[in-house]
Amino acid sequence: MNSNKIIKGKRPDFYSAPGVDYLMHMVTVLAQEHSAMRDRLDTLESVATEKGAFSPDDIEAYTPTQADLERREARRQKFLDNLFSVIAQEAAEVRNADTKQRFEQVITDLATQT
Amino acid sequence: MDSSALNTFQQAQHPVLVASDCDDRARQEFVKSFKTHIQQSILPAVSGVYFQRAVPAYANDHGKAPEDHREARQSFADDPLFQAYLCLNRSSQELQWFSVIDAIEADTQGLASRANDIAPAGGSLTLDANFEIPNYVSSLDIHCMPGGYCGPADAAKLHTGALYDRGVYLYSMGYMGPNNDDMGRSVCNYVKRNLPDLRPKRILDLGCTVGHSTLPYAELFPDAEVHAIDVSEACLTYAHHRAEGMGMPVHFAQMNAEQTSFESGSFDLIVSHILLHETSTKALPRIFKECHRLLAPGGAVIHADLPPFGDMDAYTQLILDNETWYNNEPFWSAMRTKDQIQLSADAGFDKATTHFDTAPMAIMEFAAASADESYTEEMATELTDREFTAGEYAPGGGWEVLIARK
Repeated sequence: MNSNKIIKGKRPDFYSAPGVDYLMHMVTVLAQEHSAMRDRLDTLESVATEKGAFSPDDIEAYTPTQADLERREARRQKFLDNLFSVIAQEAAEVRNADTKQRFEQVITDLATQT
Repeated sequence: MDSSALNTFQQAQHPVLVASDCDDRARQEFVKSFKTHIQQSILPAVSGVYFQRAVPAYANDHGKAPEDHREARQSFADDPLFQAYLCLNRSSQELQWFSVIDAIEADTQGLASRANDIAPAGGSLTLDANFEIPNYVSSLDIHCMPGGYCGPADAAKLHTGALYDRGVYLYSMGYMGPNNDDMGRSVCNYVKRNLPDLRPKRILDLGCTVGHSTLPYAELFPDAEVHAIDVSEACLTYAHHRAEGMGMPVHFAQMNAEQTSFESGSFDLIVSHILLHETSTKALPRIFKECHRLLAPGGAVIHADLPPFGDMDAYTQLILDNETWYNNEPFWSAMRTKDQIQLSADAGFDKATTHFDTAPMAIMEFAAASADESYTEEMATELTDREFTAGEYAPGGGWEVLIARK
């Protein structure tokens, strides 16, 4: 963390459930980055139009090739896997009987077994 | 308020305005849009929930509706929508500063170099090596600006001012005009229209920060000598470069408004802009007394700040009071409970003529005269014609001013 971004004065708690404040701020930052990306794409289209390369209409009129479709689908699936990885994790835990009890047992065993 | 017009107000260029790359500009624009959205879409939804959910529940338990901000907060504190509003508002404030800090750190050399190339405009900068920063400035980073007014010790002393200058533009969503000077400009207009006998020859701006409110006085009273003081060396250094870069001769000095080193009776107009709420119960009467000492007979003091709680409804008080608890504005609410008329009288001003008034926002004049096409008359009219709504910027399209004559 950049020390120039530290604010003197205790940051208030907004939600009583731990972690929600972190999450809300993270989502806000991600929204900001998403918005900045869209602005950059918009700039890209404007510059391309101005330079005579292509226009937003060309983008709308473009028909994806089969290779485009496959590449996009693969990227989207990977993105969705990442987005919902916690769900996949939990499903795997249930499948493998990987419980909290087992987790704690491992820690206890490794500390106490001689 | 009709929010159909999209706010695309842009800040005017000057040599020490931080240069932001395409992505930092976009992040800053996002903050401006996000703040607009919070005020125009989220806050009205929250307000509806307060009156429909929180007030009836409170009334059921207490036999009456909340009557002040404390009772309003008690009734609403646990509401998830209110919590979401507070949380998002805080993040918008943090993102505002962070998006500018990234740009400043990429532009450190550029800022120093551009400052170095500025041609003198006739102003000056006087610093005090033994200056003591008052605790109301140093205890918390006011309005969550990282580093506060006295900021990190960068070599060129431009970081803090550059951060504040750009941050004010984003915070105000451009409603302060292209030069962030709407408050100063509005008070100048007010003086010309309402105090026509006052033709100031020597003007003092207290707590000037980066001099954004000060410059209109140099522009609109060209025959006057304009002085501005602040406690922050960093802000004053930036203010000096900024003023010179914009061709405005202003004399900046590091002094505390509670006790300056100017001669008694040496100013005929003393002003401050959103200064008082960033001081303290101890400092406030001292500032009023110092103003009385510094004013020449016939002179006027005008403090532009935000209105006292007075007869404000409990919900409006609550939304304003959030600044105290969630935006590091420790004196914000306490200041609104002070009897400023009585404090003025105690300082020697005539109680009968000391009064509050509203100085209409000068942004209308910008829109009419500006070559900047982002400031349209339609948007300016919309801004200045509206009613006071808690949580919005510049209550009711005008600035609250306290006026006292000597």
